[in-house]
Amino acid sequence: MLLTAVTFLPLVFALLIACVPSQQTRMIRVASLVFSLIVFAVSVVLVARFDRSTAALQFAERLPWVPELGISYFLGLDGISLWLVVLTTFLTPVIILGSWESISTKVKGFHASLLILETAMIGSFLAMDAILFYVFFELSLVPMYFMVGIWGGTRRVYATLKFFIYTMLGSLMMLLAIIYLMYAHHDTVGLFSASLLDFYKLQIPFVAGTFLNPQTLLFFAFALAFAIKVPMFPLHTWLPDAHVEAPTPGSVILAGVMLKMGTYGFMRFVIPLFPEAAGYWAWLFIFLGLVGIVYGALVAMVQPDIKKLVAYSSVSHMGYIIVGLFAMNVYGATGGLYQMLNHGVSTGALFLLVGMIYERTHSREIVKYGGLAKALPIFTILFLIVTMSSIAVPMTNGFVGEFLILLGTFEVSRVYGVVAVTGVVLGAAYMLWMVKRVFFGPAGELVKDDHHPLVDLNLREIVVMAPLIVLVFWMGLFPNHFLDYSKASIEHLIQTRDAYQLTIHTSAAPGAASGVTSEVVSAAETAEARK
Amino acid sequence: MNMQLLQDVVLVSPLIALFAMSLLPVMMKVFQGNREPNPYVTLFIGFIGLSLATGLTAALSGADKTAFSGAIVFDGITAWMSYLVYLITAVALMLSFDHVATRGRQFAEFVFLMLSSVLGMIILIMSNDLIVTFIGIETMSLCLYILCAMSKEDVLSKEAAFKYFILGSFASAIFLYGIAFIYGTVGSTIFPDILESVGTLISTNTLFVVGLAMVTLGFAFKVSVFPLHAWTPDVYHGAPTPVTAFMATAVKASTFVAFLRLFESEGYGDAVQFQNVLQWLAVLTMLIGNVAAVMQDNFKRMLAYSSIAHSGYIMVGLIAAGFGNNFDAGATSVIFYLFSYALMTLGTFAVVAMFEKAENSTVGMNELKGMANRYPLLSLSLTVLLLSLAGIPPTLGFFGKFYLFSAAIEQDMYWLVLWGVINSVISVYYYLRPIVMMYMSDDVPVEIVGTNGMTRLTVIFTAALIVVLGLMSSPVLKAVQRSVTNLF
Repeated sequence: MLLTAVTFLPLVFALLIACVPSQQTRMIRVASLVFSLIVFAVSVVLVARFDRSTAALQFAERLPWVPELGISYFLGLDGISLWLVVLTTFLTPVIILGSWESISTKVKGFHASLLILETAMIGSFLAMDAILFYVFFELSLVPMYFMVGIWGGTRRVYATLKFFIYTMLGSLMMLLAIIYLMYAHHDTVGLFSASLLDFYKLQIPFVAGTFLNPQTLLFFAFALAFAIKVPMFPLHTWLPDAHVEAPTPGSVILAGVMLKMGTYGFMRFVIPLFPEAAGYWAWLFIFLGLVGIVYGALVAMVQPDIKKLVAYSSVSHMGYIIVGLFAMNVYGATGGLYQMLNHGVSTGALFLLVGMIYERTHSREIVKYGGLAKALPIFTILFLIVTMSSIAVPMTNGFVGEFLILLGTFEVSRVYGVVAVTGVVLGAAYMLWMVKRVFFGPAGELVKDDHHPLVDLNLREIVVMAPLIVLVFWMGLFPNHFLDYSKASIEHLIQTRDAYQLTIHTSAAPGAASGVTSEVVSAAETAEARK
Repeated sequence: MNMQLLQDVVLVSPLIALFAMSLLPVMMKVFQGNREPNPYVTLFIGFIGLSLATGLTAALSGADKTAFSGAIVFDGITAWMSYLVYLITAVALMLSFDHVATRGRQFAEFVFLMLSSVLGMIILIMSNDLIVTFIGIETMSLCLYILCAMSKEDVLSKEAAFKYFILGSFASAIFLYGIAFIYGTVGSTIFPDILESVGTLISTNTLFVVGLAMVTLGFAFKVSVFPLHAWTPDVYHGAPTPVTAFMATAVKASTFVAFLRLFESEGYGDAVQFQNVLQWLAVLTMLIGNVAAVMQDNFKRMLAYSSIAHSGYIMVGLIAAGFGNNFDAGATSVIFYLFSYALMTLGTFAVVAMFEKAENSTVGMNELKGMANRYPLLSLSLTVLLLSLAGIPPTLGFFGKFYLFSAAIEQDMYWLVLWGVINSVISVYYYLRPIVMMYMSDDVPVEIVGTNGMTRLTVIFTAALIVVLGLMSSPVLKAVQRSVTNLF
């Protein structure tokens, strides 16, 4: 019941908020904040009760949904999804508090959308049935579409349509692949099933070197959906538009969580479902990831708009995650997963900070700033800390993730590693150059404008940033506090990649897995049997 | 022999009840000296007719019987589709009760025509014989021609009726000619006889193929499949909106069932060329409908083109049913889709109907601007309906498309499905446009005037149903599956 609770509580809360009269904006804000904190508390319970010694699915819940086609309501949690769920539940209250003043129109609709979006995102991370996953995956588009389209900037309609149609194209291809897999399961076993655990057992024919064979086509159908979501170069063009036009909370949730749905998809679906194809085509994805790293960094360097710069830095950072995942070793995968969380924290924080300064000056153009450090000291300190995290300075979270990814990459090939390292340098270059131009040097036209004196961060804004800053150091100094939970799952994924299977762990959630026919084998036994 | 006749009459008793009730309002009008009876009474009589027919159908359901020497079949599909048509008609009657173009002095005649048209549809659904199919199509169409012209002040309405009549007659002639060819080659017009000989005749007998092609074209006209789709936008645009809603849903549902019955044979398995032609018709129908809909500024015309596109999607399921080895799966997906399509189309046209202030008004996209600020519940409902038409989960429209595509993938028709997917992506663009207008514009919204209680109810009810049945599509699917397998 715990997973259902954490998934659907936001939806219930959204319905409750929809019943509040829309003039009561303060009440709506307070209620949303309290509600999202409740959801966060539930997810903390999940962490506390999580058994980190096993790679099997925990707290699994399974009910038939459309039994005619083997579709079930099947939720499960493992080390890969745990922190992504927590990241979602953690960022939502931060966003609600962060948008306390910036969202002033249609407050009710905004908070309802945000909570529905939270349900969709958590659902995608927890769904262990392919169709259920698809439903959540697509459902997440709708509230995001409204968030960008209603509360966004001037070109919001263009941006939001582009975002929606781009993502839809990819995910429909994935839907076809899912249907194919369902029939493949029916042909081999004689029963319909859309459960991922059953899909993992399928042997899908693969022919190296040719394109028109089932596994390669399925691999690319899934990969396209997730590559658009990540987004990987050259499918990234919707991202800068969406980020620039989105309101601050929209950008935070987009960068913080929604992009992770793509990389999570690679970890959960693409690599374990199509191991041969993923292994064979890994070079392509590493190559595109590397291009994304360098290209994103170079384009970020020349952006005149701070938000666009951060958006392109996302392209670059997501490139790291892809490279890490397709390095196909424990370092790379661990780093990839860790970098997902880091990116959620630090890019989310950057977008929040950019939003705060935008609320004061209504401009994001770098040339109009300069000398902000004197005018806004607290803001400057926070911004610098987050910048350090973004460019992976040791002791911050970014360092751990990027270091692990680079370790993994060097293990694959020195050339890949060298190219990836240039991304670190370029990343430092564009971020620090931007910081120099915005915070130091002579005061810019907006900063010395005496008619509109700038006010430093107020208590609410500091409270918004505080948990993020704490996390930057916590994750940077004690990565094992987090990685211990994921270790078993990642090692299981990498070591048994060619015949990946997931089982349901019963002891963590007694009674919840009743009615599940899969045999219960602990992960350790499965791994040993493989050797 | 008399016993047999009695049984046959009992089987068609829903039709008799419907026809008797449809005459009642007109008779009342005649006996009251051509004074229009109270519209509430007329509406009530219409509902009684529909519920009587529904009740009788339900009482007879479960029977897998034929009547009148096998010309009429009463099976699961008949029952299920009859319910659907009755439901659509009830909703369409509610819409026309509210609507400015149909509310006027001739509501009694309107109800008569509507129920007679339903009579034709039920004949079409029950038909197991090409001649009976033809009678059904004609009964249905003749009433529709007049219904299209019901808007008294509107020139477009007359033009639509005239176009529909001329082209419809032409299509009927082609259909009839096709029947002649088929009768000439098979020696029978009863479906089981035809379907039995399809396997041998389709590859050897050119005359049979010509006949089959002509019959297919006749069906294609009624469900607006390329290349006989061109009348659709004009007629749908010109006809009074409740009639458009009725045509777009009930006609399509009943005609597709008859079309489906023609494909219930293993014999098509080797007819690769015929399959190719139908596949391209499906692809072009989807493409033309969707691409043309993108360019529309008139909400009603956009929906007309989108309904062409939806015919294309249904063709995908039809082809999977006819040319694969699993007719049941294909037929289930088609019927499920018809059900979901009917719900969402009725709801969307109901919104159009609400916006029409006068008989000759057209609803431009711009009129939806800012609607969300004034009518939040209505906007939300329209959003759900449009997202369902676009096939976004977890709405009923998504599951409809999912089952269609599943049926086609089961038969390895990957290219066809790929075209379906590409078209779904195109369609998202124009289905999102009204949503953009409603939510992402700060203009002062248009005020909705006039009586529209039942129309509003329809919009909200269909939207709610789409979400609820989307989340619980399993019982519906099971019911459809049962009705389909009952047949064989």
